[in-house]
Order: sequence, then C-alpha cells, then structure tokens
Amino acid sequence: MLKILDFFEYAKSESLWMAHFCTGCCSLEMAAAMGPRYDWERYGYMPTPTPRQADILMITGLVSKKILPALLRTYAQMGEPKYVVALGACSFDGGPYNDSLSVIKNPTEILPADVFIAGCPPKPEAIIEGLEQVKAKIKAGIPSAASQGGLWKEMEF
Amino acid sequence: MEGDGVLMDYIKNTISDIPTEYIEDYKQNWLKCKLKDSKDILTITEKLKKLGLRSISTISPTDFPNENKIEMNYFFEDLQNRKNCWVKCDIPREFDKCKIDSITPIMPSANWHEREAYSMFGVDFINHPDLRPIIVSQDYYGKAPYRADFDWRAHEANQLNNLKAIVDDFKSDESKNEKILDPLGSDTMLNWGPTHPASGPIRLKVHCDGEKVISVDPEIGYVWRALEDLVTRKDFIGAIVAVERLCFMDNINSMTGYCMAVEEIAGVEITPFAKWMRVLLGECARVSSHFMGLGNFFNTMGLHTLMLWNMDVREYFLDVLESYSGARIATAAIEPGGVRYPLDISIFKELQAAIDKFDSVIGDIEAIFVKNPTMKLRASKVGIISKNEAIDFALSGPVARASGVKTDIRLDEPYAAYNEVKMDYITAQNGSAADRFRVIFEELKQSVDIIRQAKQKIEEGVASGEFDPQKDHMVKVPKKLPAGEAISRVEWARGEVLMHLVTTEKAKSPYRLKMRAPSFNHTMMLNRLLADKTLSDIPLVFGSMYICQGDLDR
Repeated sequence: MLKILDFFEYAKSESLWMAHFCTGCCSLEMAAAMGPRYDWERYGYMPTPTPRQADILMITGLVSKKILPALLRTYAQMGEPKYVVALGACSFDGGPYNDSLSVIKNPTEILPADVFIAGCPPKPEAIIEGLEQVKAKIKAGIPSAASQGGLWKEMEF
Repeated sequence: MEGDGVLMDYIKNTISDIPTEYIEDYKQNWLKCKLKDSKDILTITEKLKKLGLRSISTISPTDFPNENKIEMNYFFEDLQNRKNCWVKCDIPREFDKCKIDSITPIMPSANWHEREAYSMFGVDFINHPDLRPIIVSQDYYGKAPYRADFDWRAHEANQLNNLKAIVDDFKSDESKNEKILDPLGSDTMLNWGPTHPASGPIRLKVHCDGEKVISVDPEIGYVWRALEDLVTRKDFIGAIVAVERLCFMDNINSMTGYCMAVEEIAGVEITPFAKWMRVLLGECARVSSHFMGLGNFFNTMGLHTLMLWNMDVREYFLDVLESYSGARIATAAIEPGGVRYPLDISIFKELQAAIDKFDSVIGDIEAIFVKNPTMKLRASKVGIISKNEAIDFALSGPVARASGVKTDIRLDEPYAAYNEVKMDYITAQNGSAADRFRVIFEELKQSVDIIRQAKQKIEEGVASGEFDPQKDHMVKVPKKLPAGEAISRVEWARGEVLMHLVTTEKAKSPYRLKMRAPSFNHTMMLNRLLADKTLSDIPLVFGSMYICQGDLDR
C-alpha cells in the first residue's frame, strides 16, 4: 500500500528541475539531452533559470577555480531537498585537465555528488540514465551526499 | 590604400629602414622579421598601420629561461588584402625589466591580447590604457603562471588559500558596488552572470542607470583550463585532446589548425584523401556549431523553437561524426599526418541522410525565422559594427563578414583541400545583429554545399582507385620533431584560429602553443556595442556575437 510519505518522495522524484548552471563543455551534451531526439522532459526533468526552484545541481564537467565559489553559492541558494549530479570525467578527477593549473581536480570532494555519469562528455542517453538513478535514490529516501559532508561546509564562499 | 592591397615587397622596403636582424618571406603573403631593439615596436606598428595592416591578430610571448629572454611575437594582419606580417623582438626576462611599449593606443585590437600577455607572462606594457589581469584567477595575479619556471604544483598545494583569494576579490567587488549604488538616483552595478541562462560562464559587470547601460566590463576566465600550458606536458598526439577542447561546438577545425602546424615543422605533406576528409569533417562540425549559434540567437530573444529545430538536424551531423570516430563531439579525429581513422565508405549513407534532413527543413527555417519581420525589427538596429570597427578590432569569421569585411581563411589562405572547393565570401553590409544572423544562416547552406562537393570527390576518388580509404588516411609523422616554429591559420566556425607552435630540438611535446581564438576579440567589442543601449539588449547582442566561453578563456 502506498503510504503518504512515500507519495511525497514519489512526487519529488518525478519532477526534477535542474538549476541552469553550466561550468564546462559537458553542458553541450546536456543541451542535446534537452533536445528533440532525447527529450528529457519525457522523464520530468527541466532546466530552470533560478536555483530557488531547482532540485538538482549539475556539475557539468570541469570546474575551474574561478567558478567554484559561484557553484557553491548556487548550491547554497537551492531549497531542500537538493541533489548533486556530477557529469563527465572532469568532475571526478579533472579528466583531461588533470594536470592543468587552473582546474579543480577534486570538485566532488568539495561538493559531494549523488551520482557520477561517466564519459568525456557523457552521451545524452547516459545523462538520462544517471538522472534516473537520482530518482531511484530519492524514492528510496536516501539523503543527498552533499548534506552528509564535503569540504564546502568548512569553506567561505 | 584600401581595397587595392600593396605588394609584399613594398612592405618589405618600407620597414627595411628599421634595424632588424632579418626580414624574410615566410609563407605566401607572410612576412617575418625580427627587430634588433624592442623599442622599435611602435615605429613598425605605425608603419604597418599606414600600409593597411591595421589589425593585430594576437600577441604571443615565448619564454626562454636559458637564454634569459622572452620573445614577443606580434601577428599583424590586413583583413581585406590578405597580407600578414610576423614581427618578433626580444625583451629581458626579469620582472622589473620585462617591459615593452604598448601598441594599444595605435591598434585597439591589441588591448586584451596585451593584458593576456601581462597576466600569463608578466610582460609589462608601458602606456597601456587599462593594464589589469585578465583570464587568470585571482590567486595567479602577478605570478606569470605560463613562464617555464613557474612551479604550479607547489602553488596548487594550498588549494583552499587560493580559493579564498577569489572569494575575497568577489566580496571586495561587492562592497565597491555598494558605494556606487546611488540611494537617490538609479545608478547600479549589475552582475550579468557568471552563469546567465543565455550564455555560458562569463560575468559582465554592467554599470547601469535604470534601464540604460553606461558601461560593460566583461570579466572572463570562468572556464580557464590553461590549455596552452597543458599541451606542453603532452606529446604531439596527446596534445590534440587539449586542442579540440578549445570548444566542443566545432572541434574538428581547431585540431586541423594544430596538426597543420605540426606537419609544417615535421616537413610532412598529407595525402589528398586526408585533405578532403579534413574538409568533410570540418564542415560537418561547422554545421553543428552554426546550428547552435543560430538557435542561441533566437533563445536570447525568448523564442526556443529554432533551437529545438536546429538540435534535431544537428543530431544527424553528429551521427556522421560518431560513426566515423566513435564520439559525438569529442572526436579526436584529426591527427598530425592526416585523419585518425580509415574511412568506411558506408558512413556516407548517414551523411546523405543528414543532408536530406537538412534540405527538408532549411526552407522552413528560412521562411519562418530568417525572414521573420519581428526578428528584423528587433535585431536590425542593435549591435551595429561598422566595417572600420570590425577591421580595427580584428574581428573575424561571420561577425566580421556581416560588417562587410571580405575575410575567410578558407579563401584567403587555402588549407586542406579548400583550394579545390567552389565557394565564395558571404557578406552583409550593415553589421547589425540581424545581419550576423543571416550570414551564419547563409554559411550553413554554404557548408552543406561544401560537404556535398567533398563527398562527391571522395566517392569518385574511391571508385576510380585514386584514394585508398583504408591506407591513405595517414602518413607517418615522427614522434620527435626538430626545432622549429610555425604558424597555421584556419577558418573556425566562429572565425580565425591562429596557432603558433614552437618546438625545441628532438622535442616530444610542444614547447609553446599559442591559440588565438576569435571570441576573445568579439567579447572585447561588447562595451562599445552596449554602451547607451538598454539592459534587454545585452542578451541579444551577446547572442549575436557568437561567443563561446570555451575559446574565450582557453
């Protein structure tokens, strides 16, 4: 039997809005996922220009040093519950920019991600699959990773 | 002088009274000279300007710690008459002596390029009107991170401290803005960005009086990946990974430019088949980039339909790239020596499907969007760039052509197989936002026409046995290159990309690679275009300038 609390989790998970925040090249494939061929709105995802209405924050690929404070500020402005999705190799360890002098190599140590989507850049199918995993996580009632820890809590931004 | 063009010999004679170590012909329409004394840079700049070389493509310092010098490279360009001059001079390396006269008062297009050289190499430009750091994050201010002896790993070790410098700068900016805020009037500092939905990561500091924009100060560097520094730690083939990430929208042509520079130093000539493949793949990438550009333009006016239509067609061209290389946008398909993979001719079926799809919708796009009276009303009076401005600020690509400047590297300095391609300059007269839109649209049709020509040529060549798609794609390029220096220019989707590659003896990796990317100059224009306009014009003008943050910051 569907409990009332379960119903709320269900409702939360089925209309995930994404803060429109691009930090790197993976945002191009994210745009493709929004496009007609892949059309992620079928699954209830939608970009929103303001973080206040957003449920998920995507780290779209590389995070440069200069944009990191803005990323954290955006995350802080989002309302609970909020989830972080890390796109591409860069958001894991810097990817192709691993020995670049200006790219953050550990963005998810600073802002822990709930789901990692592999690829450089990930294909649109992979992005949608990754977002489906966020859904599953919400339905299971698992708290988001960034709320459990991460360097961002100790940082000033 | 304009429109006529002067002979290279005449330029040579005119500058020959300046003391130089050498003046020599480099390539066709290219002159290369080295000044004995860096103080003569102003004299030569003035002379070249009188001769019609009014734009500066880029300024590229190269650091030689062993010889205790920084070699400055200036690339002067005559956008209309296909004349180029490469001027070199040495300056000392010590921070307090590392000085040279600024040429910005004579050539405004040098402005940001000098600021970049100042931030990356610590070169001090005397009399520069606005010498502030650009691109680099705040923790690198005054540290010259691109110098060969800079230990960035030690610098990166205290990450949290570095981040604090950035946050502090932002906060001090905020308190400064509070002071400007006028409690009685309506003076405000507005941050447009760092991530506005109509753009990628860029921050325009807009000083406005109510609706009216007073000035715009773009702050860039939010996707700075230090690609030019990154390639020096990769081998010549590995460097293409960094080069193609200049911008993913059109990644093929930037790789072509880099590979041409490597081939020039290695002294390798690639096969005609590989040349045609470069044309074919390059135009597919250009189409996919132009589609995004057009869509973004309408997005900024609040209509998303065109973007969705365009993305539908774009997918078909990405299919071709994917079938060829295995990746949709990070193809790594061009390599020094040719193209990376042998061609399976069956992908031409997909290419035909893409062309058919293109043909089926392009009429509708033209009727509904390009001839749209509302768009024309809105966009034909904003963001106007005159022909003179376009030349003075060294704009390139569709943006320059929309102002009536006949410049297209594919025709001016044909590379790959473009000398056999039938095409012409696509220009407009007024240089407004609507004109830029139309030029990009016409170029889409031109690109598909070039794809047809390349496809036919390859098909014929394969059928007649002239091309062997399994073997001809690649000639061997040695892993170690001799010492050398090369310039290559390609027409990228957004404009001219210039690659300046320096190698040392038996080098396994580039010693210095400077990438000149068009968006840098286009962003420089924003302040001029937006002053006295209204806030609502910012997204429109920004969208029409066809700017990508990837190549803006590198």
